[in-house]
Amino acid sequence: MHIVCCLKQVPDTADVKIDPETNTLVREGLESILNPYDLVAVEMAVRLKEKHGGRISALCMGPPQAQSVLRQAMSLGADAGILLSDRAFAGADTLATSYTLAQAVLILNRKTPVNLIICGKQAIDGDTAQTGPGLATRLDYTQLTYVTAVESFDPKNKLIRIKRRIEEGQEILEAELPALLTVELESARPRRASLPELIASMRKDIEVWDKKKIEGDANQLGIKGSPTWVRKMGAPPPRTSGPRFEAAKGLREAVDQSLDIIFADGFMAEELGIPTGVHHGKDSRGN
Amino acid sequence: MAKTPAGIEIPEIIPDKCIGCQICISKCPVEAIKLTPDGKAWIDPEICEGCGQCAEVCPVEAVDLDRTERIKAGKRLRDKPFTPVSGQVVSVYIEIRNGKAADVSWELVGKARELADKLEARLAAFVLGSDVEEFCARAGSLGCDEVHLLEHDTLKRYVSSLYGHALSELAHKVQPEILLMGATSHGRDLAGVVATHLKTGLTADCTGLDIEEDSGLLLMTRPTFGGNIMATIFCENHRPQMSTVRPKVFPMPGLNEKKWKLIRHAWRPPESSVPELIAFIEDKSLLGIDITEYPVLIVAGKGACSKDSFPLLEELAGLLGGVVACSRPVVESGLMPYERQVGQTGKTVAPKLYIGVGVSGAIQHRVAIQGAERILAVNNDPDAPIFQVADAGIVGDYAQVLPELISRLKAKVKNHE
Repeated sequence: MHIVCCLKQVPDTADVKIDPETNTLVREGLESILNPYDLVAVEMAVRLKEKHGGRISALCMGPPQAQSVLRQAMSLGADAGILLSDRAFAGADTLATSYTLAQAVLILNRKTPVNLIICGKQAIDGDTAQTGPGLATRLDYTQLTYVTAVESFDPKNKLIRIKRRIEEGQEILEAELPALLTVELESARPRRASLPELIASMRKDIEVWDKKKIEGDANQLGIKGSPTWVRKMGAPPPRTSGPRFEAAKGLREAVDQSLDIIFADGFMAEELGIPTGVHHGKDSRGN
Repeated sequence: MAKTPAGIEIPEIIPDKCIGCQICISKCPVEAIKLTPDGKAWIDPEICEGCGQCAEVCPVEAVDLDRTERIKAGKRLRDKPFTPVSGQVVSVYIEIRNGKAADVSWELVGKARELADKLEARLAAFVLGSDVEEFCARAGSLGCDEVHLLEHDTLKRYVSSLYGHALSELAHKVQPEILLMGATSHGRDLAGVVATHLKTGLTADCTGLDIEEDSGLLLMTRPTFGGNIMATIFCENHRPQMSTVRPKVFPMPGLNEKKWKLIRHAWRPPESSVPELIAFIEDKSLLGIDITEYPVLIVAGKGACSKDSFPLLEELAGLLGGVVACSRPVVESGLMPYERQVGQTGKTVAPKLYIGVGVSGAIQHRVAIQGAERILAVNNDPDAPIFQVADAGIVGDYAQVLPELISRLKAKVKNHE
């Protein structure tokens, strides 16, 4: 039984702080962490391994320093860590990323057939949730997104039963392996590695695979293989505080004046059906 | 332009422009960028390899680098003025789940009509499923020129691989310039499959769409880095230009009295294993609602952490087409599930309108609401930090303020029930 976990190293967006004087973002010593959804993916893989045996390969595309997230996965129970690192991979969007990962999975699959791939639902820096479906499509694996629990796993009969979240509730699906899951945060609470496990993980080797090793087509890698371009990036304008109205001095006035400010310039008028061109402070009775 | 001893052109930080956000530091593949003691980024020329990723991600253009290679795509297009090409198609995928179409699909038809008019293109809708012809007339009545219908028994229930194959095949036949889908769990699941089949670019969760005048390209704007940065993305050389758009970003369009035509398509499903639906547990109450998808959030804080406040909060949310969310103390009290939490340890949100009720606005909370377009705060503590970021604030007890707010809003909002 062979499970592959796909990991991403991301900046810790939870680290962002606001400078109280200027109201702008300060990111003192912004750290790089393992994407929290991917940490859950590793936990889920380790639990399946504990129950059914087998092997976990952790896969991460990124610069050399991204090997730290592979070590973290190995300290939690992954057997191998493979870093996909090559200048040719840089600047990849989701299409190029899923291509690079798929190539690597195909290589892994030659040695030990892969039964299951587990990815986080999305990464907290990009929030796209596209790489998982892209990878499943390229490999023709059964695609199971928004997974909240694995109900049963039967590698012998090539079956997996999972619970997944959609808008109206939860679906329980039974699907054929090989499959690719993208998992929600609540699907498994990640364990912490013990000190001996941490030390042991530091001694393990991380394999670094380049474009030659994954037999990649240069036109599908990195910037070259990415159809999307970023035209511009901008911070949302800094916030300034508006007036405060005291309800004690007149409840209706306080409410009306606030609403006038909030819905000024026809803000949301179309969605809410607020008549424009009419002064908001006046109601039908002319108050 | 600085060069390394090896002759590689490397970028430099313009200290006056740098805001010390450190996004470049996290992006640099060789760890060449450091933060100086005065809070500005600095690039070590010994380490830098000149890849230019820092220049690409810098939100304030503080990285000085000749980016000709990277932006030439855009420049080249600007050299020759854009003229609409006849026969182009803008398309929208109509999402149907359990016999109901998702509202976001109709919202997108409205927006796509605008985009199609700018391009002088036809607007097409893709309707897929089993026994779904009834939805075609709605698509036509909202402004589509043509509706492509693909019906098959195997499409009764949504299955990623089957829908992905069918929609890809339709897109292949119709060759649209643009394909829009709702950023629902269904739409996001499907879009990744279709974009991979069609080998084209996909931009997820957009909050803004427009046609760039001089190039005719679709400009897709989306929040990134947890909602702290807005990125505008385009897809130059691949078609269709694909985007998923969050629900309620665009208004529901009005009726359009135009002629439209129905085009039926046959389809042969691929040989693939289909997951079997064992059970469905309906849960519309608390779980399964993604607060980041709503245009209006009514956020309960510690000051409104009581069972009595909830009917008022729900009514307010209903009136504005929003949903009730909360700050951390409310989750800790057990009144709301974690999924509804806004804040550093919860969700970063970027609604159009945020109304905080009894939210004090600790920094961990404020940082997560930066992306909100407008903020109204209600709190009985005049010194609550939430007022520092609010466009307007009401100092008072929620039990008094909310009923008045609801009644004044009812007078203002025409289309409430």
